[in-house]
Order: sequence, then structure tokens, then C-alpha cells
Amino acid sequence: MSIRAPRKGENYELSVDLNSEYRDKRKDAIKRVIASMTVGKDVSGLFPDVLKNMQTEDLEQKKLVYLYLMNYAKTQPELVILAVNTFVKDSEDPNPLVRALAIRTMGCLRAERIIDYLCDPLNRALRDENPYVRKTAALCVAKLYDLKSSLVIDNGFLSRLHEMIADSNPMVVANTVAALTDIHKIASTAHPPVPSSDPAIFNITPHILNKILIALNECTEWGRVAVLNALSRYTTQDEKESEHICERVVPQFQHANGSVVLAAVKVIMIHMRGIRREDFTKQLVRKMAPPLVTLLSSPPEVQWVALRNVNLLLQKRPDLLSNEMRVFFCKYNDPLYVKVEKLDIMVRLANDNNVDALLSELKEYASEVDVDFVRKSIKAIGQTAISIESSAERCVNVLLDLIGTRVSYVVQEAVVVMKDIFRKYPSTYEGVIPTLCANLEELDEPEAKASLIWIIGEYAEKIDNADELLGTFVDTFTEESYQVQLQTLTAVVKLFLKKPDSSQGIVQRVLDTATKDCDSPDVRDRAYIYWRLLSTDPGAAKAVVLAHRPPISIPRTTVSPALLEELLGEISSLASVYHKPAETFIGHGRIGADAVQRKGTELSDDHAFAQKAFRTVVAGQQAENLLDFDEAPAQEEPSGLAATRILPSTPATASFLSGTSANPLDDLVSIFGGMSASSAHAGAGANRPGFDGVSIGEGALGGLGGTTSPPPGGASFGPGVDALGSPNAGHGPQEDLLGLF
Amino acid sequence: MAIDGLIILDANGRPIIQSGYTSFPPAYPLLHIDALNNELAKAPSSGIIDPIIYVASGGGGDMPDGSACCHIQVREMRMLASISGDLDPLVAFAFLQAFHDILQDYFGTVSTVTLKGNFDTVYQLIEEILDSSGHPLTTSPSILRDIVIPPSLLSTLLASLPASAPSVGRSGGPTSLNNTGGAFASPIPWRKVGVRHNSNEILFDVTEEMRAIVGRNGATLASNVIGTIECNSRLSGMPDLLASFSNPNVMAECAFHPCVRLQRWKREQTLSFIPPDGKFVLGEYQYAPPQKVVVNNLPIPVALKPNIIIGELGGSFTVTFTSRMMKAMENVKIEWYLGEDATGAQCTLSGAGSGVGSTGGAEGSWTFDSRKKILRWEIPSMHSSGSRVLRGSWTSKAQVPRPAHAFQIRFELPSYSFSSLKIDHVRLSSETYKMYKGVRMQSCGSIEWRW
Repeated sequence: MSIRAPRKGENYELSVDLNSEYRDKRKDAIKRVIASMTVGKDVSGLFPDVLKNMQTEDLEQKKLVYLYLMNYAKTQPELVILAVNTFVKDSEDPNPLVRALAIRTMGCLRAERIIDYLCDPLNRALRDENPYVRKTAALCVAKLYDLKSSLVIDNGFLSRLHEMIADSNPMVVANTVAALTDIHKIASTAHPPVPSSDPAIFNITPHILNKILIALNECTEWGRVAVLNALSRYTTQDEKESEHICERVVPQFQHANGSVVLAAVKVIMIHMRGIRREDFTKQLVRKMAPPLVTLLSSPPEVQWVALRNVNLLLQKRPDLLSNEMRVFFCKYNDPLYVKVEKLDIMVRLANDNNVDALLSELKEYASEVDVDFVRKSIKAIGQTAISIESSAERCVNVLLDLIGTRVSYVVQEAVVVMKDIFRKYPSTYEGVIPTLCANLEELDEPEAKASLIWIIGEYAEKIDNADELLGTFVDTFTEESYQVQLQTLTAVVKLFLKKPDSSQGIVQRVLDTATKDCDSPDVRDRAYIYWRLLSTDPGAAKAVVLAHRPPISIPRTTVSPALLEELLGEISSLASVYHKPAETFIGHGRIGADAVQRKGTELSDDHAFAQKAFRTVVAGQQAENLLDFDEAPAQEEPSGLAATRILPSTPATASFLSGTSANPLDDLVSIFGGMSASSAHAGAGANRPGFDGVSIGEGALGGLGGTTSPPPGGASFGPGVDALGSPNAGHGPQEDLLGLF
Repeated sequence: MAIDGLIILDANGRPIIQSGYTSFPPAYPLLHIDALNNELAKAPSSGIIDPIIYVASGGGGDMPDGSACCHIQVREMRMLASISGDLDPLVAFAFLQAFHDILQDYFGTVSTVTLKGNFDTVYQLIEEILDSSGHPLTTSPSILRDIVIPPSLLSTLLASLPASAPSVGRSGGPTSLNNTGGAFASPIPWRKVGVRHNSNEILFDVTEEMRAIVGRNGATLASNVIGTIECNSRLSGMPDLLASFSNPNVMAECAFHPCVRLQRWKREQTLSFIPPDGKFVLGEYQYAPPQKVVVNNLPIPVALKPNIIIGELGGSFTVTFTSRMMKAMENVKIEWYLGEDATGAQCTLSGAGSGVGSTGGAEGSWTFDSRKKILRWEIPSMHSSGSRVLRGSWTSKAQVPRPAHAFQIRFELPSYSFSSLKIDHVRLSSETYKMYKGVRMQSCGSIEWRW
């Protein structure tokens, strides 16, 4: 013993008491030692004194001593070795509680030198007549495997565990399954990877399946979660077996514990893939809805997890809760995180029948106090308008009502949303433009300003004082944010193309300011391009700037189909809460063959997309000599020229390529691997023929749209969005994911 | 792979209990405590933060690369469970809830004081309910009571005495040590063998809670009734019970305690079960009214007529609360958030139209919680179809005050049931003794009334 307690002070007094002749005094001293230990005081010097109290009839005292040992086992393994004899003795105690306690404590001492002594007692415990000892021992095997796997294999503990799956006590079965699953996980993430024939790999055979299905109905809730998780890993032989599993698991929906319910939902979602009978699938989906709804009467934390999972399930099975929208109505006292999820789900559940109820709720929410929630509610109105065409007019009316409140952030958000509605339904709601313009003065957020400017530019021919309205923005051009500058520029050019007679002056003014006094290269470059276009070929300018735009739509999913499938397999795990595959946040996660394959296709998609974009740009350059820089403006402004010199070779090309490789979303790749799949897919899909030419004019709009539309919505604007748009283009999905943290 | 560890933080964010984390470096729990405290510091005054906090770590050593901190608030404390890997966060929350229930069962109130005072019991409990590999074990209080002896009055007294009475102190320990063997030989995890009671009784406590949102026009926007059947079973041996209802079809979307035989319920709509000993929740259900159409529009037993005028730097209001019940209503609480900038309120109470019995305490009282900015109106009891009026005004620092657009109404209805659920009979088989059965019905409501 190198450490000696000093002769005075607290530890000395404790040491005296620990050696007292009175049992109660000793026990009290142990308690005080533990108390000091838990507040971080070093009481390791009392080790020998505490150890003397280990052999006692008093179970409580024994437990406290064990607690002490566990705490110091890691830092002072040489001391713990002194306790080995007592442990071994306790593991043969007539009282099963003491036997189990000894095994459990030895298992978590995690000291190299003690585990060699663990094997014999463990071997006995695994065959103990008492189920409490057996189930404790089962978990201990997993711990031992983690520390020294060779000991487990050499002692035949693995095969003993496999035998224990047939144990008569359901709790022993459940703990055995949990232990085998733990060992399986350790083995399958090992370096180098173990072969699939390794005994540590827990392959669930049909025989095991039957055993654990029986145990499922009889064990505790935690045991059920372990069994259900094992069931979700089982590969069914045929459709009949899938049906059988689903039928046996469905009753678990009625368990009071939410984690059992969610684990059961996961098993059903996985094994439903193997079922082709449509009516059976429908029946399962129908049965899934009530327990999920029941979870919503739980505490808010549980609600939140449930809502995140419901959100995911709805993307796969939109019919899941089609009649249950009212359940998701937000209460005033709900925490914000619950409200936000409910809102998202409500919009997802919207259809022709319930849209009125939804809109009056959203209007209600828009009058609440929390600014974030109000904004999200107004956004939701826009999403509803875009996804349900028949409701658009009602949505617009609600938005007008909200603008009427003149609450600054309400008005601004409503204007942003109106822009999206104009995008979706062009030339339908021009009647509201005067109301919007009347609020021009109140807008102070760049996004709202930019939105209104876009609307003015888009409908310039129908707004009598469009030049006047835009003029105010041109006056303050240099003070505005880049987003507003880009929009002002485009809007004024649109105005000029639509009303060339009255707006010659203003277009001259804006191009002049943008090229001379503006410090953003994006704004300057766009001004040059417009200038060039207008001075070379106004017809081409018209074709580019006023081109017809593809309508926007709101995707029903926020994650790509492949990722959705994967996440549904991980329902009731962190992955499904974050809506990201597990390997992106569990560093050492194992990446299965299918995941690698999927990543492969992602890459090739990206590549094909880049190629396509590149070809488009080259074609564009050849066809429309857009970048002829012999014209006046470039020469007038040497610094501008210097900047544009680089342009002729690769301006758009570079940005197009950056649109794919340095696409703002790609920043996410490192963090959120899987998400790039969705953007790449969506982006490629939107690269429609005939759209190429307009990408320049719409770049900024795209950037703008990307910020307001739901996640991959930005991508539906096509490649030009990411190339020329503001870095905000990827903001939607980014925000969605980062918002989680 | 599972619950890595468990921490309880006091009101100042300092750990009072910390357990688990055996296979992790000491920095790991600290990271989680830090993450939670940081979030709390960033949160607005309400202290509401996401229930799951992602905790990134630099990796290295045995540290998981990414883990999550799941936490719940218990009075002034926060309980947090660290999870990593692919664990269901709901397991963490369900476990925290179970842990909290156990603590409550043991100590009555769960507070910093009781936890600090009984830390040895708390640690023993944690050892029993959470395996060091992170798997939750036994969380059934009736079984735990045999393994970990609850602090009784006697043992507390003894502990406070100078340790000079060794002979008395022994009685708790060794005897229990010998009796416990039976607890785990039981074939069912929620009940031990050899339970003995002098008088055998089982009490059913059915509580139905109506939750509803009422729109500004008085129309019900959403409503449902959630019923909970709590049991207190004090039966000897292995009693096999069969409870049947005269109207089981009013129960929908049931969730039951694991002891209920689900197949039997599905087949015959009767509850067949061997109950755990002591208090437990037998099941939960939603009230399904006979006519499907009214599912979302159950009649609301109360009405509120707010008349609110918002002016500059405050406003005035007249709120009339009416009971539509033919029975007496108790503990009515009406809360109204007056907005972040509210500074005070002044009210008068009167009972309109009720005439008799509206004197003194029956009229209720009002308070303004200046910290939470909530105006609270409490009426201890209401006669059938009576109504009460609260008139007053409030002041605010804001030019345009923005009070909440919703009143929160809570009320209790003793011996009333929304669903009229009736337990027909409870039969005992497998045991020969006579048992006493008791059923109590009560209801409460939690209504959000918008204006």
C-alpha cells in the first residue's frame, strides 16, 4: 500500500469509523465515504479499510462497498485485485441476490487483471438455477467480450448464450438477446472485420425467431425493446414469414411504454416490405395510426420524438393519419419544438377536406407571440397554397388578413410567401399587388424586400407606378443587401423590357450604379451581363429575362427516397429523429454494402449532372455570344474590365460546375453525407431542356426561392439556382437539419 | 449502444447524482452536462430547449464520436441520460420517466434535498435499474422494494441517532436478505411469488381527462378524452383476475400494462391479468363516443366568455366562466398569460346569476404571477350551472400589449366519467380467498379557450 491516510482530517476519522467495532458505525462510515466519493473527493486512501467491510451479512452495506470498488477499479486496479477473493466467494453465496451482485460488479470493474478471475464464476452463473442470476450473467458476457473477446470464445460462453435463448424465463431470453446483439455490434464494427461465419455474429435463424417471438409477450418493456430490435434485423425467408412476424408484433402497439410501440412500428415497417398483399399492408398501416396518436398525449419530450418519427412515416405512407389532423393542432402552452413539428405534420396531412380547418388554425398561430413560430405558420400557409391548388385563393385571403394586422414581421413573412404563390400561380392574384405595395415602407428585411421587388418586376406592366416604386430602391441601391440589389437589378431590367419608353432613365441609373459603385462581384457581373444583352440584342434579353419559368412545387418528402427507406429501417432510433442516416453522426458506424452502393450511384449522378451542365453552358456560349466584351461599358470601367477579363473563359461554366461540386449543399456533405443525394437527384431532375437559357435571369430568384421553399424545393428551380443564386440557395435543407441542434 | 449514463443536475446545473459511464472517459459526462447548461443559457427565459441535444466530441479514446443528451425537467432539477449509437431516444425518455416514478415511490417528493439525503439509496436503485452496459433492468417498484430497502421512518430515526443501538439496526438488513430469493424465481417479471396480505383488496381508480381546444367562436376545434385506469392491488398469492366492462366499446386505442393478456382483450374485450403488487397503471384508453361523427366534438362542460379591450400600456377585461355541468365542479383554475411586458393586474370577482352560495371562498381568488406573467383565477368549487365573473385590468410596459390569445382552463369533476365506462365485475380465479373490490371514477379537464 503506497497510499496512506493522514493521521488527522476527514479521511482519518472515516478510517477510524470504518474499523469501529460497531456495525452501524462502520456502515455509516461507508455511506460517508461514498458521499465524499460522489462529490469528487479522493477517498482512495481508505481502500483497505473499506475492503474490510466487504464481507458482511448486510446486503445494503455490501452494495455500498461494491459501489466504492467500481469507482476506483479503473484508476487503481492493483487495489481491486485484493477484493477478488471476496467476489469469488460471493459468487457462490446461497443468496441469489448476492451471487448476481458479485457477477455484475466483477463485470463492470473493467480491470484487466480481475477478468481472468471472472470466467469460472461467470460460467457457474450462466448455469445458475435462479433466473435472476442467469439474466445478470448473460449481460456480463457482453461486457467481457468487449474487454477481452478471446476469453468469451475460449470459455464457450457464446454457445452457452445461444443455448440460453431457449431458457424458460422470458427475461433471461430478453437479456440474452440483448447481450448477443451487443456482441454482434462489437464484432461487426471490429477492425479488421470479422467474417460473417464468426460465432460472435448473431444471425437470427428461424429457430431463434420462434423462441424470441414467444418471449416477446412475456418480458418487461425493456426486454421487449431488445427483442423487437433483434426482430427488425431478421431476414425473412418468404412473404408468409413476414406476415407471421407482423401479426405477432402488432399486439405490442397496445403497450403502455412508448419505446415498445415505436420499436414495434419499426419492425412492422421493415417486414412490411416483404408483404405484397395490398389489403394486409393497408390493415397494418391502419393499426399503426392509433398508437402513434396515443403517444401525443405523453410528456412533450416523448411527443417530440414521436412527431419526428411520424413525420418520417408520413413521407412513406401519406395515408397513415389522413383523418387525424386535429390531433396535431398546437396548443398555446406546447413547447416551441413540439409546435414546429406539429405544424410540419399538419401541412403534410392537408387535403381538400381539412384545408379550411388547417387555415384557420394557421391564422390563429400567426397571431401568437413567438416570432419564430409565427413565421413558420405563415410559411405553412404558403406551402398549403402551393400544394393544394383549390385552397390557394383562401390562403391568399388569409395572408391579406395577416398583412392587415400591420405587425412588421407578419407582413414581411406574408410578402415572402406571396412571392412563392405568384411563382406557382402566375397572373392569378394580381389584385393583391396594390395591398402588398402599400406596405413597401414597412419592409426592412432583405428577403421580404427582395420578394416584393421581384413581384413588382414580374408584374411591372400592370403596376402603374412600378418605376416610382423601384426608383426608391435604386436610390438606396448601394445601402441595400446584395440579395435586394440583385433583385432590384433584375426587376428594373424587366420593367425596361416591358415598358421601354418610360423607364430608360431608371435602367441606365441602376446599371450605372451596379457596375460602378457596387462592391459585390455577383451584382456587378449580372449588371454587365444585362447591359451587354440590352445593348446587343434586346430580343435575346427578352428571351432570357422574361422567359417562362417552370412552376414550383413542394415535394412531399424532405429526404431522398433511398434515404427515406434507410431511415424507416431505423425508426425509433436517433437516426429517425435527426432524419439522417446513423453513420453520419456515429463516426465508427458500419457502412453496409448497400450503403456503399448507394453512395456510388450518388457520385455518378453528380458526375452526370456536372457533365450535362457543362455541355449546356458551352452550347449557350456558342449560340448567344453573351460575353462579347468589346462593347462600351467594359471599356469605360477599367476595374470592371479587370474583373470581367476572367469571365470570358469560364464565367458560367465555372459557376455551373461550382453548382454541382461546390454547390452550397456540398458543405453539408461532410456533415450530413446522405443529404447530398437528395439535392443531386432533385437537381438533375429539374435540368429540363429549354430551361438553360433563362437560368441567368432567374438565378437570383432561385436563390431567393430556395430560402423560402421547403428543403429540396430550391433544387426544383434547376441548376441555375445553385450556380448563380446567392449562397442562400441551400439554406432551406441546411436550416432544417441544423435546426435540430 | 444503450444508455451510457445517468446524471441529475440541481437548479444551478451542477450534478448531484451521476452514474454509469463506466466504460467512458471522465470527460464524457462533463461534455453532456456542459452541452445541456449551454443550451439552457442560450434559451429564452422560458427555459424551453430541445429535449435531445446533440453532443459532438472530438472523438479519441473511448469517447463516442457523436452522442445525444436526452433530458427531462423534474421540478427545479434536470435528469439527463446520455445515449450514443442507434438507441431509440424514446427508451431514454421512458427510462427517465420510470426512474423518476421509482424515486417518487421511494421518497415521496423528488427534490434536491431528498435525493441528497438518500443518495445511498438512489445509487443502489440505479445499480438495480440500469446495467452498466446501459440496458435498463427492473423498473417495477414492487420488485425493487425487495432488493433495495426504502428509507423508512425507523431507519431514518436510527441514522439520526448516534450509532449506539446496533441491535435494533440489524433488523432491516439480514432478514430482508434471506427473503429476497423468491422475487426472481417468479415466472412473470412484474410479480414475485409468495405475496401475503392480511386483507385482500383491489382498487380501481379511473381518471378521465378531457383535452380540448375551443376556437374564438366557441366551437370545439379538437377534443378528446384520455382515460387512465390505475390500480392498487393488495392481493395475496398469484391472483388471476378477470375484469369485464358493461360498455367496453367506449374504450379505443388502448395501451395496457404488460400483465394484460392482449389476445384475450382482442377476442372478448375483457381484461384478464395477474396484477403486480401495489400501485400500477393498468391501462390507458381514449374515449370513443358511440356516434363516430362527434369524435372531435365532444360537448365541453364549461364555457368562457372573455371580453377583452387592449389599450395602450395595458388593457381591461371581463371574463365570465360558466359551468354547463349538472354536477359540482372543483378546483377550477383559469390561467392567462398576459405577455412578456405585463407588469401587474387588478381584478374584482363576482358570481353572476348563481345567487346562493357565492359567498366567501366559493367565489374564488385571483393572483398575478409576476415572474411567469400569468394571471391565475381559482375557484375551489362551482355549483351546477353556476357562473362567475372576473373583471379587471392589467398594465404593461409595451405600447401595444400582446397577451396570449388563449385561456387555459383546468377543472375537476369528482365521481364523474365522460365515457360512463363501467366495470361490471372483477372475478378472481386461482386463489380461494374473498377480496374486496373498489372502483372510483373521476374526471378532469384541460381546455384551451381562444379569444
